[in-house]
Amino acid sequence: MYTRSDSPAMTHDKKTRAHVPELLQQLGQPSAAGVDAVARHTGVPAADVFGVESFYSLLDQRDLKTRVCTGLSCRLAGAEDLLKACDKARLETAPTSCIAACDRPPAMLRERRVVCEVTTGDVLESQGSFEKLYSAAGSDWRGSIWPATADEGESLLNLAAAPNWSAAGYAKALEIGPEAVIQALEEAGLQGRGGAGFPAHIKWSAVRGEAEPVKYIVLNGDEAEPGTFKDREIMLRRPDLVLDGLAIAAHAVGAGEVWLYLRGEFEIPREIMERAVAAAEEEERYGDLAFHFHSGHGAYICGEETALLESLEGRRGMPRHKPPFPTAQGLWGKPTLIHNVETIALVPTILLRGAEFFRQAGKTQPGTKLYCLSGHVARPGVYEMPLGVSLDELVEAAGGYIGELKAFSPGGASSGFLPASERARPLDFQALAEVDSMLGSAGVVVLNEGVNMAWAAAEQLEFFERESCGQCAPCRIGTAYQRASLERFREDGDAQALEHVDNIAWEMIEGSICGLGQTASLPLTSALRHFPEDFVANSSGGAPQ
Amino acid sequence: MSAPDQILVDDQTLKFCPGETILDATRRAGCSLPTLCHDPRLEPVGACRSCLVEVKGQRRLMPACKTPASPGMQIETRNERVLRHQRVLLSLYLSDHVGDPSECEDGAPCELHALAKDLGNLPVLVPLQRKHKPRADRNPFIEFRSERCIACARCVRYCDEVEGVNAITLTGRGLHTTISTASGISLYDSTCELCGGCVDVCPTGAMAEKMPLSAGAAPERELEKVRTTCNYCGVGCQMDLNVDRAAAAGRGQVVKVTSPPAGTAPSDGNLCVKGRFAYDFIDHPDRLSTPLLRGADGNLHPASWEAALERTAAGLQEVAKKHGADALAFVSSARCTMEENYLVQKLSRAVFGTNNVHQCAAT
Ligand SMILES: Cc1cc2nc3c(=O)[nH]c(=O)nc-3n(C[C@H](O)[C@H](O)[C@H](O)COP(=O)(O)O)c2cc1C
Ligand code: SF4
Ligand code: FES
Repeated sequence: MYTRSDSPAMTHDKKTRAHVPELLQQLGQPSAAGVDAVARHTGVPAADVFGVESFYSLLDQRDLKTRVCTGLSCRLAGAEDLLKACDKARLETAPTSCIAACDRPPAMLRERRVVCEVTTGDVLESQGSFEKLYSAAGSDWRGSIWPATADEGESLLNLAAAPNWSAAGYAKALEIGPEAVIQALEEAGLQGRGGAGFPAHIKWSAVRGEAEPVKYIVLNGDEAEPGTFKDREIMLRRPDLVLDGLAIAAHAVGAGEVWLYLRGEFEIPREIMERAVAAAEEEERYGDLAFHFHSGHGAYICGEETALLESLEGRRGMPRHKPPFPTAQGLWGKPTLIHNVETIALVPTILLRGAEFFRQAGKTQPGTKLYCLSGHVARPGVYEMPLGVSLDELVEAAGGYIGELKAFSPGGASSGFLPASERARPLDFQALAEVDSMLGSAGVVVLNEGVNMAWAAAEQLEFFERESCGQCAPCRIGTAYQRASLERFREDGDAQALEHVDNIAWEMIEGSICGLGQTASLPLTSALRHFPEDFVANSSGGAPQ
Repeated sequence: MSAPDQILVDDQTLKFCPGETILDATRRAGCSLPTLCHDPRLEPVGACRSCLVEVKGQRRLMPACKTPASPGMQIETRNERVLRHQRVLLSLYLSDHVGDPSECEDGAPCELHALAKDLGNLPVLVPLQRKHKPRADRNPFIEFRSERCIACARCVRYCDEVEGVNAITLTGRGLHTTISTASGISLYDSTCELCGGCVDVCPTGAMAEKMPLSAGAAPERELEKVRTTCNYCGVGCQMDLNVDRAAAAGRGQVVKVTSPPAGTAPSDGNLCVKGRFAYDFIDHPDRLSTPLLRGADGNLHPASWEAALERTAAGLQEVAKKHGADALAFVSSARCTMEENYLVQKLSRAVFGTNNVHQCAAT
């Protein structure tokens, strides 16, 4: 019997396959000839190439140059008006899922470059020329940060400081050796910043302990959870910390190659990281450690670590079953350490300033945290605060609420909504889990009293439906069913339309393969639970503000 | 219960062999677990979620088809949690499917409707009523009906893992995930060999045979299956002729060919384009159905088998007598079975005494 990998038509080299999406990107418009050309070039069957192309929104509609972000924060800032203005200006656009610019909304995408704070005036003046719009809005993508000035005291990541290329953290790692590095992470209590808060040292030890000599480090820079834009800011401002962290990880687990997977819209962060890598390679800062880049092509699910690996291997980004975990069988089946950008960037500081310092920097759990604050607050941006601050403390630093607080998402769309009464709850991994929410990626979106929660939930459900990979039915059909139910309710004001919501949400949690399907109902179920008044028959109301 | 080769399934102790999954072990013991994406010829993917069971010590339900059995594992396949999961899951599938079984099962029976019927008590959801574009493909044999597709990818994996042909793929994402050739080209223009294995493995009749559908043939479950050996070549693939006894004015007609279950020797349920689709010769007017003998008038006339065999034997004997046995040569057909080929060489060597014997597949 043939297995997937040794079937006779699959004659291509595994690593050649990784180039399939990138080769497709380089072709102009999607076409049968293009698919065939990529198939011939790589040895990957044409049908397979087409399957990859059709999975990624940036490949599937390559000819569509302009998109408007319809993430919750951008909608709150008038994305809908922007879409209408584009229509008027005859600028062909389509909506896109959140593009990690929630602090400077509403945002648009030109090919793969993000343009922030676009006004309807800008669009109308551009008269359909995106070039004009682009130059009007400018391309600096950095947002506001806290602390706003370089701070060597409390801040661990110190985003406001200039990059420091001395590689002191890496030198320290060489000096103390792998075991001590991992022990430092354990003592520091570093938890993954990508969403799950899993203790980092356990993964490092697992990869280090694998007998297989070939191991990989993968940087998860997909950052696609709606409301999240901190990894963007780290790469724009402190690429030094990211490279140092990756090199330390490689040294500690015994990996010779590092893959940086950045979402497709991160062209500017990628350029900055590429320059940093080139300089490091030039001066052989990290010995013969090899760095490779891989861009995503428009698929939120590729932030899920096993989907990311599939994507990196040049396939459709469909999550794998766990176990086996990536630490045992990851990229090309080899032991792989995957970390979020923020997790990795914290590593050098832990080594340099000590585990105890890191622990003390947190309020309820160890370390500082980059909170991404957007929505109805005075100064949206990336706030480095002690892990476990409350919403009120966070928003105070951001100049206060706009309007009266009604609800907030503490950790992106996947964390659902919490009511204002939770404003004093520590924003940490544990305290939020206690109220059936999560810190996730710490994409904190604040909604004021003008927002109807049925409307807000609808936005999030559309997101999950669009981004479901489609592999398993609970998520594939469940996300669509929940969205359709809410839509029926909002159209007819008939609460009957929502009768199966809980049952289906239960099944999506029990039956889905990965975290997307398991959390996708939460925006709706949490809104129903905390804001029943927004779901009484015939009061389903329209727009916010 | 601590024996190294035992698991406990719903209070029943089962033995398993190394490498077996929970599903393998339960199936061998005759317990039924629902599956949709599983096929014993394929690598398990655990995608359809219908076989999820509760494994003691695991927080999440586990796919039986993909989870290796391990010593002492305690498994529940019918508790409240598992049954609720199955019911809501199937109701979701049906909300995005041809809901009426009689409409759905115009060709092959639908495993999804069968599971739903077995289980009963499903929540009744509002159909999603997704719009599907009918897809025309000029190949004469295989039709894809996307409104029946549940994206289990059995067809894709079969094409890849068993046939090594890779003609089709999963395309799109989310609810729009479906099956396609590269860029949606005709199967004719793809690497497809039209073996029809995709039709065989499809659990819902989404991949279907064109000929019976366009001829308005009776649904498969009303047909009688007659197991036979394919006579296109000597491999001996087993196949089921699907016979409509009432058709052709009561003479009966072969309406389509289906595969026997995977695991059937010698061909594991696999067929080629000829075996699966080239059955219309059976009732073709050009087909010879009686022997013909050339008469004194120079024309061919229907004759009895006795007369035909007698004439043949006499002719052969005459040549052998006149010119010696080596003036004869026996060439048999690759469409004969191995047993028939054996008999031909027996006839040649033992009866006539010549080694001039050949078979067209021997080169
Ligand atoms: C649907 C989904 C999307 C995810 N997206 C991201 C992401 O964009 N970035 C990220 O770092 N982790 C993401 N994760 C979490 C990763 O699977 C993984 O846990 C993480 O990269 C591990 O790194 P950490 O230990 O540093 O947190 C996502 C998980 C799920 C289920
Ligand atoms: S839960 Fe959703 S995203 Fe995850 S594997 Fe299933 S279909 Fe794909
Ligand atoms: S048969 Fe196990 S998940 Fe489909």
